[in-house]
Amino acid sequence: MTQELVFLAFAALIALCSMMVILSRNAVVSAIYLVGDLFSLAGLYASMDAHFVAAIQVLVYAGAIVVLFMFVIMLLNLGPDQRQHLQVSAPEVGVLALTIIGFLVVGGMLLLGQPTGVTGPLTAEAIENAGGNTYTVGMVLFTKYLWPFELASMLILLAIIAAIVIAKKEQNKDGDTRRLAHG
Amino acid sequence: MVSIDHYLVLATFMFLCGTLGVLFRRNLLMVLMSIELMLNAVNLVFVSGSRMLGNLDGQVMVFFIITVAACEAGVGLAMVIALFRRYGTVDTNFLRILRG
Repeated sequence: MTQELVFLAFAALIALCSMMVILSRNAVVSAIYLVGDLFSLAGLYASMDAHFVAAIQVLVYAGAIVVLFMFVIMLLNLGPDQRQHLQVSAPEVGVLALTIIGFLVVGGMLLLGQPTGVTGPLTAEAIENAGGNTYTVGMVLFTKYLWPFELASMLILLAIIAAIVIAKKEQNKDGDTRRLAHG
Repeated sequence: MVSIDHYLVLATFMFLCGTLGVLFRRNLLMVLMSIELMLNAVNLVFVSGSRMLGNLDGQVMVFFIITVAACEAGVGLAMVIALFRRYGTVDTNFLRILRG
């Protein structure tokens, strides 16, 4: 019973925050609703016994990525969007229609039958006996997924270098920095 | 009992919100935030599947997705800053240089 209540509370928060992220006109408000969204997801993960994922969700997503978004919003100093007439072109409508059709297919499959699969050995009781969620995830991550893990570190290094190079001030030929176009 | 169907429906809704944001918002920052929303919907499906199947591979996959999302946010925001410095706007109506 409590699990249903927890799920309902977090699901309602997630639905509300997701809609407000894309509906609010001010980017700062959107970012704050995104934080609420990510926190609610962390709660949902914790209710699914994925404690380590929940902690990482709060630390990395809500703590680092959204703060990065906030920094950029403050740096660019954008006002609220002016409500413009919506320019809808053919590719956008096509992508939207494809997405909705895909979701209808998923919904039909859900109505036809419960999703099943080969059940692995790591049930909630087995994980609890093996030493907890964090321990077990660590064991999987550092044995089966060791090479993808190392490749992920290379990806982060590349992203750091790319971000520095891209965001660096452009230099003109005579050396002075390019003017800010909005000033 | 909360079954995987509930999580799938919730993730579908989140993903649809993200898709709508990417397609119809004109602020480049909002587009990036909507992409984060879509990635989170996928994470939710991974974790609920991992719980249903008694298999931790889904939770490990979430870490890789979070890594990729962090890289994407860093590089994407750097590109937003570079574009803003050059053109003075982050409105996708004006930034059509990537369109054919």
